[in-house]
Amino acid sequence: MKGPPPGPFRPGFFRSPLRGPRLTAILGLTLLGLVAIVAVTGFLSHAAYQPDLGNNAIVEPDLPLTFFDWPTGPSWLYALNQGLHVNAGLVAVPWLLAKLWSVMPRLFAWPPVTSAAEAVERATIALLVASTIFLFATGIANIQYWYVFDFDFVKAHSYAAVVFAAALGVHLVVKLPVALRSLRGRAGSELRDSPLVAIAPDAPVLSRRALLAAVGGGSAALLVANAGESIGGPLRRIAFLAPRRDGGFPVNKTAAGAKITEAMTGPAYRLVLAGGGGEIALSREELLALPQATHTLTLGCVEGWSTRQEWTGVPLLELARIAGVRDPSQLTVGSLQPQGILRQATLAANQVADSRSLLVLKVGGVDLEPDHGYPARIIVPGLPGVHNTKWVGRMEFRA
Amino acid sequence: MKRYGASPVHLLAHLAALALAAWALLQVPGLGNWQRIAVWLVAAVVVHDLVLFPAYTVAGRLVGRSPFVRIPLALSALLLLVFFPVMCGKGEGAYTRVSGVEWDGYAERWLLVSALLFLGSGILYAVRSRT
Repeated sequence: MKGPPPGPFRPGFFRSPLRGPRLTAILGLTLLGLVAIVAVTGFLSHAAYQPDLGNNAIVEPDLPLTFFDWPTGPSWLYALNQGLHVNAGLVAVPWLLAKLWSVMPRLFAWPPVTSAAEAVERATIALLVASTIFLFATGIANIQYWYVFDFDFVKAHSYAAVVFAAALGVHLVVKLPVALRSLRGRAGSELRDSPLVAIAPDAPVLSRRALLAAVGGGSAALLVANAGESIGGPLRRIAFLAPRRDGGFPVNKTAAGAKITEAMTGPAYRLVLAGGGGEIALSREELLALPQATHTLTLGCVEGWSTRQEWTGVPLLELARIAGVRDPSQLTVGSLQPQGILRQATLAANQVADSRSLLVLKVGGVDLEPDHGYPARIIVPGLPGVHNTKWVGRMEFRA
Repeated sequence: MKRYGASPVHLLAHLAALALAAWALLQVPGLGNWQRIAVWLVAAVVVHDLVLFPAYTVAGRLVGRSPFVRIPLALSALLLLVFFPVMCGKGEGAYTRVSGVEWDGYAERWLLVSALLFLGSGILYAVRSRT
């Protein structure tokens, strides 16, 4: 039989004295903890968009992930979910790179495949690596508003997550026992004969502990660079590379960008309430004359930044009463915005029933700004940011 | 299962995972521009394994083996790798359109943080080599 091709396929090519099953086990288990947070919060976010209601679905609810009502409390629930999703994802990057580095000799194993079992395993690992890097690359580009991909980010990111979850699941079935044995020092010959261990290692210049500290340092740097935008408040300014470090009350769609004109929001503006048979049209003055409530609630964006504001407006339940629908099962809110899939959102019964859910007329005691949804916008505690519809023109309650 | 090379559990677990992954991949053609998604999936592996890994291995050899050089350099490179879109203003147009404000100073802040990392490591090295 012919020997391996030159370069990385030759035994002895990889010379780092640090590689070995124990290092890979530590890196792998740390990475597992982090990507578990990212995956769970990712699928929870899909559920928070309530794709089974109205026209909410961006991604079809074809996996059984939306079997529960997304709760309305605490109000920072969605902000926390997305803060974890984005920041745990960033923190995972150095662990992912280190983990892949630690198993690189396996990529160049020769012969590449020795049994059917190994062929199946390597195919699954190819899927795992491809979907993982795909998810990180698209997610990281997306939070920085770099829409370099000319495909639908939300759909591609969520189906890639299914591929990732499947491939990771089976990788754990195969490798978790090996990792645990390596950590407990019970692997014996498995440790010594591991293809990860260099045959002709260089002299060590860095201990394993120092390497792990450096990887952790990379995580810390990324966290400091970004986490402020998720926590909000004064910490926003510390986040030196965060895409949303702008202070105050951030805007994620300007009135001009949404093609909202002054004619739409001026004296001719009417909010149409529907559901109880006929339709009722209310001017902004009439809305201001209704019972008002004020609540301080957190608005969280899917991209991992949040803002906490004091919202004043009419409770949704009050509007349901005026529309003539008692205990509404659903509410579809439509924006004056002429285009865009997110110009309407459907809310569930528990969200309409929460006394803190408002049709907001004022923020921080002053009239809404045009970019924040003047004349009226929605705030529902715990709802994904973009579903808190701005420039509300129509509200349709269902009994 | 001698011919297969592992236990039935191994085979069944892989078949289950591959079937679910195939289901997800079969949703991709319905997403529009699916060829680009396929290219991205393949490029993800190629770019990491055959570009990024060799690049940082060669870079590591070029700068020598001292951790006092390698670690701050790796941290600076990591920040660049993750946040280069914001530093190069890749999303600036989209960002200004949605937020109404300007993006600024990202590359400058990265350079300052990198300078701090190199300086800190240099001081640490000087102190360590004296004692």
